[in-house]
Amino acid sequence: MSLEELAFLALALVAIATAAAALLVRELVHTILWIAIFFVDLSAIYFLLDAPFLGVLQLGVYAGAVTILLLFGIMTTRKRIFSRESATGIGPVPVALALVTFVFLVSALGELPPSTSTIATYDPTALSENLFGPNGPWLLLLGLIMLAGVAGAIYLVREGRE
Amino acid sequence: MTELALTGFLGLSAALVGIGIFGILTRRNFILLLISVEIAMNAAILNFVYFAAFPSGTHGLSGQAITVVLIGFAATEVAVGLAIVLALNRLKGTINVARATELKL
Amino acid sequence: MTFSSFAAPFAPEIVLLAGTLLIFALDVLKVRRIEITGGIAVAATLAGIALVVADLGFAPLAFLATIPAAQIDALPAAGAAPLYAVTSLGLVFQAIFLLAAFFVALGSTSRPSDERGASIFFGLLLLATLGMLLVAIASDLIFLLLAIEVTSIASYLMVAYTRTDARGVEAAMKFFIIGALSTVLSFFGASLLFGAYGTTNLYLIRAAGTAVGYPTLVLLGYGFLFAGLAFKVTLVPFHAWAVDVYDGAPHDVSAFLAGGTKKMGIFAFFLVFLGPVLAVDAVGQSGYGLFGGSLALGPSFQLALGVIAVLTMSVGNALALLQKEMKRMLAYSSISQAGYMMIGITIGSAPALGGATLQVLAHALMKTGAFLVVSAVAALGVGPLIEDYRGLGTRRPLLGAAFALMLLSLAGVPLTIGFVSKFVLFSAAVRAQGWFLWLAVAGLLNSAISVFYYARVLKAMYFDPSPVPDPALAGAVVGGAGPPALPVGGLGYGRAAAIALIAGLIVLFGIDPQLVLGPIQAAAYHFVAAGA
Repeated sequence: MSLEELAFLALALVAIATAAAALLVRELVHTILWIAIFFVDLSAIYFLLDAPFLGVLQLGVYAGAVTILLLFGIMTTRKRIFSRESATGIGPVPVALALVTFVFLVSALGELPPSTSTIATYDPTALSENLFGPNGPWLLLLGLIMLAGVAGAIYLVREGRE
Repeated sequence: MTELALTGFLGLSAALVGIGIFGILTRRNFILLLISVEIAMNAAILNFVYFAAFPSGTHGLSGQAITVVLIGFAATEVAVGLAIVLALNRLKGTINVARATELKL
Repeated sequence: MTFSSFAAPFAPEIVLLAGTLLIFALDVLKVRRIEITGGIAVAATLAGIALVVADLGFAPLAFLATIPAAQIDALPAAGAAPLYAVTSLGLVFQAIFLLAAFFVALGSTSRPSDERGASIFFGLLLLATLGMLLVAIASDLIFLLLAIEVTSIASYLMVAYTRTDARGVEAAMKFFIIGALSTVLSFFGASLLFGAYGTTNLYLIRAAGTAVGYPTLVLLGYGFLFAGLAFKVTLVPFHAWAVDVYDGAPHDVSAFLAGGTKKMGIFAFFLVFLGPVLAVDAVGQSGYGLFGGSLALGPSFQLALGVIAVLTMSVGNALALLQKEMKRMLAYSSISQAGYMMIGITIGSAPALGGATLQVLAHALMKTGAFLVVSAVAALGVGPLIEDYRGLGTRRPLLGAAFALMLLSLAGVPLTIGFVSKFVLFSAAVRAQGWFLWLAVAGLLNSAISVFYYARVLKAMYFDPSPVPDPALAGAVVGGAGPPALPVGGLGYGRAAAIALIAGLIVLFGIDPQLVLGPIQAAAYHFVAAGA
């Protein structure tokens, strides 16, 4: 087993553990802690996949901005900061659905090439040429989504006194 | 030259999307629902990154471009969700989805 | 590529974006009167309709056409992977989306002229319509999903636009959660398809078809995409949110959700699932996975889609029968109508797709109209229950007649567009033979059931005695309490015009279906042939 594979195995286990912990712990602030570790862990996986630009983006946007947004959301919607998730019944149906999804997906593993293969690497210049060239419309669409989101969100949370 | 097996990655994203769906179906706190959605979204993003690294066609680079767009989109989605929940919190004082029972289910 | 040649296919989109930005800019300048913002929205959608109809080849407007006829329905060059491509069926859908947005904008101008949030409502309405127009020209999976998100994000916020109405904000929260789940499932499915095919271009995926080494990835990818898109179209296992959201949203927003944004999902289904439905050969040859060996993609998909279609129309109808509130009844009826539309993509032939498109047009007119009537009736002070509509037909003969016409068209009575669309759709199912015949039978049975609940409303409106005292007239008699009465019997010019126009179109297309049937069938034919 190569060093990369060992590293991936460790990172994958941490990712699964932190994702599960984020949803299962009872303190909401601890949830944010776990999810922050999860985002950082995924960005490490992107570095492992030779996609450093995406790794940095994941760190900046997810581990930085999204985590802070979620923390901000918890702090403004609860009187006490260390509030708990109200008790929820974990019925058999959600567990079954999640398990079925997992089993179906894992069943696809067998048909992938089992041997190790070399990673295709791209330098950031090629990525930006692709993003602002043939795939430019995706960015335009992202701009429209953000326009709708920003305009509506600002209106919605503005204290109305007009 | 990094060498990795493809199967492990799909196993990871399968587990993450399973956890995300489980969270969406069982959690009732809006913030936890958002987090569940983001976990599943990260599974999709992870898929795009490693299918770009092990391309089965000639458009591998597009996978990384999609990732950039999706990360930006996910941040917007969280912001919109929080705006809605802040507005509701101001009106009703709860962000528990099950407790906000004005509408019949 | 010069800017003008890049921008040419986007003329209607640019008009809508300009309208949005103008409305937001005026909002910053504190110009918020509904006559102005609503006027901009009405003008922008009307201009969009003119541009799209001109591109479709409508001779009197030919001077407005911006897309060369040769570019419409043109197959992409070999090796190219365009993100968008103009198809004539896409243009037909654009016209339908714009029509629904136009009627909602026109009807909404009758709300109080100093209403707060009017500018955000009309701005988001135009942005959501813009997203729908982009869906109709998508030829790339990611482009399609992002365009759907433009509409989704805008419509979550539209549902909450009243800001102080807890019901609306709460409906927005439910809508957001379901929408986010549907988005995640769609993107996850898209990522699996990207892994299997190495591209997200729908033409290339359709061309590669069955020549792929990862059958399980393909199947799971389509499965996730199906679940994600099914939430948008309210197919049956994924339908429960729609009733709550349509019920809790402001009436005009419900009209737009049921008449407009839902149709976007139908076109997304056409784009994504026509390929697998028409794939005849077995997919892949591999010894691994649950579906190792080979899998006949087309027939399996048709069976799955067919079962979902029948379930959707039956469950929607059965639950509609039980409803006491008008908006919830209309929401369930909207779910069952989605089942009829799914018949088209299940069969996948040109006549069936044409029939489904006609059904989409019919439903966009009927549902937008019905919700606008509900909005008008609510503004008159009538309650939300079906029994609150007692005597409406005799008290307000014109409004009652328009509503009755829409309900009759929903039930599929001859001389209305609802009859024509169902006739075309079911006869396509009969012509397709095989087990598709049963889809037509299920559709006919469900149409018969649906007559019951529409007739219940008609009975309340025309045959039940009016409640005493008459709530609609109470305001006028007592006076002073309510807002000043609007012109046209309290409806306001915008609402009255929108409802009258919709009623007129329902009858016009019902009497002379060739006006729309010809172009739609030709467009559907090109759409199916493009992938062959």
